[in-house]
Formats: sequence, C-alpha cells, structure tokens
Amino acid sequence: MSCNMVFALAAEKLAGNIEVPERAEYLRVIMLELNRIASHLIWFGTTSLDLGAITPFLYGFREREDILDLFEMTCGQRLTFNYIRVGGVAGDIPREFIPKCREFLGKFDAKVDDYERVLTENPIFVARNKDVGILTPEMAVAYGVSGPSLRASGVRFDLRKDDPYSIYDRFDFNIPAFHNGDCYDRYMVRIQEMRESAKIVRQAIDRIPDGEVRAKVSINFKPPAGEVYSRIENSRGEMGAYIQSIGEKKPLRVKLRGGSYNQLQVMPELVKGHKIADVVAIMASLDIIMPEVDR
Amino acid sequence: MIAGVFSQIGQSFQQLIGDVSSNPLFYLISFVLILSALMVVTLKNIFHSALFLILTLFSVAGIYILLHAEFLAAVQVLIYVGAVAILIIFAIMLTSQLTSKRIVQTNEQVTVALLICFGFLGTAFLSIPYTVWRIADVALPAENIFTLGKLLMTDYVLPFEVVSIVLLAALIGAVVLARREGS
Amino acid sequence: MEITGIFKYLYELLQSTGLPQVLVDIIALASAAVMIFGVLAVIALFLVWWERKVSAHIQQRFGPMRTGWHGWRQTIADAVKLLQKEDITPSTVDRPVFFWAPVIAFVAAFMVYVTIPFGDGLIVSDLNIGILFIIAITTFTIISLLMAGWGSNNKYALLGGMRSAAQVVSYEVPMVVSVLAVIVFAGSLSMVDIVQSQAKIYKWYFFRLPFGPIAFFTYIIAATAETNRTPFDLPEAEQELVAGFNVEYSGMKFAMFFLAEFVNMFTVSAIGATLFFGGWQGPLLPSWVWFLVKTFALVFVLMWFRWTYPRLRVDQLMEFSWKFLLPVSFANLILAGWMKYSGWFNW
Repeated sequence: MSCNMVFALAAEKLAGNIEVPERAEYLRVIMLELNRIASHLIWFGTTSLDLGAITPFLYGFREREDILDLFEMTCGQRLTFNYIRVGGVAGDIPREFIPKCREFLGKFDAKVDDYERVLTENPIFVARNKDVGILTPEMAVAYGVSGPSLRASGVRFDLRKDDPYSIYDRFDFNIPAFHNGDCYDRYMVRIQEMRESAKIVRQAIDRIPDGEVRAKVSINFKPPAGEVYSRIENSRGEMGAYIQSIGEKKPLRVKLRGGSYNQLQVMPELVKGHKIADVVAIMASLDIIMPEVDR
Repeated sequence: MIAGVFSQIGQSFQQLIGDVSSNPLFYLISFVLILSALMVVTLKNIFHSALFLILTLFSVAGIYILLHAEFLAAVQVLIYVGAVAILIIFAIMLTSQLTSKRIVQTNEQVTVALLICFGFLGTAFLSIPYTVWRIADVALPAENIFTLGKLLMTDYVLPFEVVSIVLLAALIGAVVLARREGS
Repeated sequence: MEITGIFKYLYELLQSTGLPQVLVDIIALASAAVMIFGVLAVIALFLVWWERKVSAHIQQRFGPMRTGWHGWRQTIADAVKLLQKEDITPSTVDRPVFFWAPVIAFVAAFMVYVTIPFGDGLIVSDLNIGILFIIAITTFTIISLLMAGWGSNNKYALLGGMRSAAQVVSYEVPMVVSVLAVIVFAGSLSMVDIVQSQAKIYKWYFFRLPFGPIAFFTYIIAATAETNRTPFDLPEAEQELVAGFNVEYSGMKFAMFFLAEFVNMFTVSAIGATLFFGGWQGPLLPSWVWFLVKTFALVFVLMWFRWTYPRLRVDQLMEFSWKFLLPVSFANLILAGWMKYSGWFNW
C-alpha cells in the first residue's frame, strides 16, 4: 500500500494539476494506517518467534487476519494490494467496510494490551532486549536509519508530522519516541505506534466525507518532463519514490527507497560485543525485510 | 605353587564377596567392566575411550549393587557418570585434533611403565591371599542408607567435613586460576 | 477398581504352574517392564497429542481436528509414518556413537520408571534409594545428548549437544538440592515412603510452609530446564542452531529421541507429583487415577510455560541457575533441615 501511495504522490507532484478528491485522501490514510498496523503485527509476531516465544506470533497473525479481510474486501487482494492510484484510489470501499473496521478497532486496543501482557512485562523478554543493540541518536542519523528504529533512539522524526503529506495534518496523534535506542525501546515504539495508528484510523472513519474517490486521469497521461522525489513514513521508516520523466507516457527512471537498507547497514555496529543470540534479537528489532533491502 | 596362590585368591575372594561369586550376573558385569576398561586405554578415538570409561564406571556401579551397596552405586553413577565423565567429554570436545589418525598412544617409556604395572599386579596377587581380611560377621543392616547417613554424621563426621573442605579448596583454586587468565 | 489385586492374582497363577521361584520372579519382572513400556508409549503418544492441543488452544487455534474425535488418531498416524520412514545415516557420522545415542536416551528415559509408584502398590521395585536412582539414571540423558551431538559430525548438532549437556548439568544441581529438602523431611529416599508420609492433603510437601513451595518452584524450574523446554530450550534454538542435537536424525532414531523427550517430561512431572503433591494419595478414585491426574496437571504447567515464554540467552540461562536457583535452593535446604530439627510444623 505504501508503495502505491508514494508512487502516486510522486506522480501527482510531477503532474501538478491533479486534484485528489477528499474521500480518496481519507481512504488513503485509512489504508496506510491499517497497513502500518498489519506490518507491525508481522514484526511483532516474527520478533517474538525469533526470541523463542511462539504464541505471540499467532496472536499477531490473528489480528492481521482481520486487517487482511478488510483489504480483501476493498481491493480483492490479501498480499499484493494495489489500491491507491494516481489521482485517488481504485474504487470506493464496500458498504460493510466501515462497520467491520469499527468492530476491529473496538477490540484492537484490548488485543494490544494482551500482547503487552505476554511480552512487555515478561522478565525473560526484558532480559533479552534491555540494553541490547544500543543505537545512539548520532549513529542512527549518520547511517540514515529512519522510522521506529530512529525514534527509539530519541530522535522524534516522523514524516507524518515533520513533512506532512496527504491529510495527516488534520489528525490528532502522537509520535512515540524513547531514548535508550535498545531493542526494548524499538519494541515499545512499535507497540505504541500501533495504538496511535488505530487512533488515526478511528478519527478518519468518523470524519470521512462522501463523494468521488478518483480524479479523472487519462490513461495516456503524460506528465511534464522533470524529476521529482516524494516521501512518506511507512512502517519501516522513510519510503521514497524518485521519478525522472522526459514527458513521455513512461518515465525514464523510477527508484523506490525503503527503510530496510539503512537499517541493515547499522547491524555491524550494533552487534559488536554481543552474543549470537543477540544478533537474532537485534535483527528482529530493526524490522529488516530482506527483499526491501535490494529495491 | 601358582595353583595354590590362585585357589587362595579364590577363597579370599569368596570370603570378601560372599554369595556374589555364585551369581552369574557378577561374571557378566565383570567381563563388561574389564573389556570396557581395556577399550578405554587401547582405542584410538579418544571420544570413544571416554564413552567406554562411562561404561566402565557404570559396570562398577553394577558390582556395587550386587554387593548390596545401592547407595554407593547410585552415587557412583551420579558423580562419575553424571559429573566426571561429562567433564571429560567436555574437555575432549573443546580440544581440537583429538580424533586424528596420527595419534600415538605410546612413547619411549612404555617398557618402564609396563614393568611397573606388572610389578603392582604381582604385588596385588601375592598380597591378597596372605592378608587377613577383617570381615564383620553381622548381617547387613536392612536400612543401610539410614545407617550410612547416621555414621557419616556421627562417627565419621570429621573426615566427611574434611573432604568437603578439600573440594571447596579445589573449587576456589579453579576459580582463582581461571580469573588470573582473564585479567 | 484396584489393579494390584489383578496383579496378585496373576502372580499366584504363575506360581501355581510349578516353575522355580527365580523363573517366576524373572517372568513377573519382565512382564512388568513390558507393561510399563506399553503404558508409557501410550502416555507419550497421548502427550504429543495433548501438547498440540494445549498449544493450539493457548494460541486460539484448534490443532488437529480431522482424524477422529478432536484428532486423537493424529499422533498414532504420525508415529506410524515416522517408523516407516527411511532410516538415514549420513556418511560422515561416527556410526556406533550415532547409533547408540538414541538408544541410550530411550533406555534411560524408561529405566527411571522402575521406582516411580503409579499407584498404591503399583511400583516395579521399591528400591530404598528410589529417588537417588532416578537422579542417577537421568544423567544418561546427558550422555546421549553429547553422543548425538558428537556422533552427528555436524556443527549445529555438536553445539546443540554441548549446550544441552551444560544446561542439564547446571540445572541438575538445584533440582537435586530442592529434592533433598523433601527427603530431609520424609527421612527416606524410597518413593513409597515419601508418598506415604503425605497421607493427608495438609501433609503434602507443597503445603509445608515455607520450605515446600520454594522447593517445588525451584524443582519445577530446574525440571523445565532438564527437559530442555522453553524458556530453557536453547539446545534447539532454531534461530541459532537449526534444530539442535537431533538435526541429523530421521525416522526411527528421531522417533526414539522424540519419544524419550516426552517420556522425560512425564517423568519430571511424575516426580513432582510424588514429592510435592502426595503421589497417588487421594480420596474416592483409585490411586493410579490420582497419580495420573496430578502428573498431567504438572505436565500441563510445563506446556503452559512453553507456549507462553520467550527463550533465554545462554549466559542468562547459566546465570539464572548458578546465581539464583542454586543459592535459593541451598538456603531452602538449610531452612528445611532447621525446621525438621527444631520440630516445627512436624505434623
């Protein structure tokens, strides 16, 4: 979803004259935030699995299932979502989406409490994560680490607040940040972000207006020549899209940037002096998705 | 003369272990014991030697059981198999180059060692028959662990405690040695 | 229904055939061994199924559902499948060691049951060293782990084997010491005597405050580590070691390790039930039912641990044993000794 979004944003920026309808903007935010929750849920599951706890993995996937149902309802896909288009979204949401989504949000906070009960206060989990793989703010900035891993080191930088795109400036939410930069803080940031994302979705479905969901963009849409870079905050940090156009139907060059590449680069610094088992914990806590490293 | 010595040995042996010598299990266990003990010193693969050492120690425990010393047997397994042998295996696993084919088991002192060993064996053979063994005529107490425990805590409390102090000293010594290397 | 009556009858029947007494005893003991083996095999199969069900329900799943009622035939099918599989011996393994490791694990797991009382009179042999015998035999599990690790000629197997050996050795100490606290109070090593000294529910060692619960908790923690289960399942930490000591094993040999593992889990629970919860003692129901109920309750606790906790790190594991569990269990032993000596709570 976030790749859809960032590419659409870049193309819109390049075209300059595309007016995205209000309803589409709200739908984009809802989808992006649900996607962030889903991504953090996978991260939560795999992290706990990497630390040897199997049950939280299934808990995380249980809630992710609900989100995937919502996505499936919307765009027909459960994994390779393709919903956000240049000029809006592919189509309107079905009627049962909003009640389903409300139902999910209603129980979600209690589920996050569950996760916290299973892991956050567990002495073994704390022992495995506290003071392990400390990422100092200087190091994080120097390596270009972004997203939750950066905020866990005490740099409160989030594109949703610091370089607002879409309609994020209309919502009331916090950017959780911690200061130790260890695995435990990275864990806490993501857990709190899930709650904040749920808050955003809740506000968005309360306020969503009626109307069009897609501006008219011709199939033979030819943006002006030039280059453009747009960026959004996705679950693993800064997601960027660079488009170089020569005024043709197809761009000359497109580059997508994901957060994992930079997060992988700090690994050698973080694992110094730790045990092999800690490498697993550190890697998990940075939320590195290997395919994203080589985009 | 040799036959005389052997029958003498047989008799003292009878006296020592009483009814055990008529038990076929005793001969089976002894056979396993001696065979595995030989394997310990002759095998080239030192890991296999360690495993045969475990079998040897376990067979000794079997003999203890035949002698109605169950407690001793359990302790034998617990300490020798459970702790000492495992320590040895650990040492083997942490040492490199112990299984290579070029390992030589003997050096130039082998003849001297053999002579000394046979000397000891001969001494043992000669001394067993001519020793007057003090064997108590009283029957084994039914609750021999109970008695053993009582005795360890009353009559033999001093040696018992001295042994623990020796072990403690060894422990502290090991810690000291390990620390010096570290710092 | 009391089972012992049937056994007595069968024994007398055997005697009446006129065979010499030695032979009668040998036949009786051999059939007892075979019976225990059969019972334990069934229990182990049941535990595999139960573990799957417990884990599934903790994780809000159903687990096996399609084969029979709630999938009860699943493990039987799995076991049969496992036994039919090709028995692969990799070409670089140390053959004799590789072969004997699962055998020793298997035999050690079953030999323990000589002195575990399944019920009133349902014990193969009430040795006067009972509990000590069990502890001694369980050390062979370590040997088998080391043999499997070394014999496989695989770095992951070797590391897994060494880890589990180091772990079992370190946790054996607090486990034995916490068991000793009970022995001090019971004044006997015989399992039957220990059970009989807990005739009433308030006499269960678990309820002997304050030493009982402490001894039990140190025991159950050490026992979890002994059976290599989460949070102490380092030997098979798949993120670091693929599968641990049994990585090269397949088919029948793997089945033996697997079965031994579940039998060991049942063993530590049975010892726990015997030492702390009055063994077979209980009203109304036959004694063996009580024994099984208590043991399965403890097995459930072990499974509960496994499906809730993350895994410790190697150094944390060792620290926990030597710096926390051991001092606590020693202090508890001294406390128990003092309580016994001073005559307090000596109901």
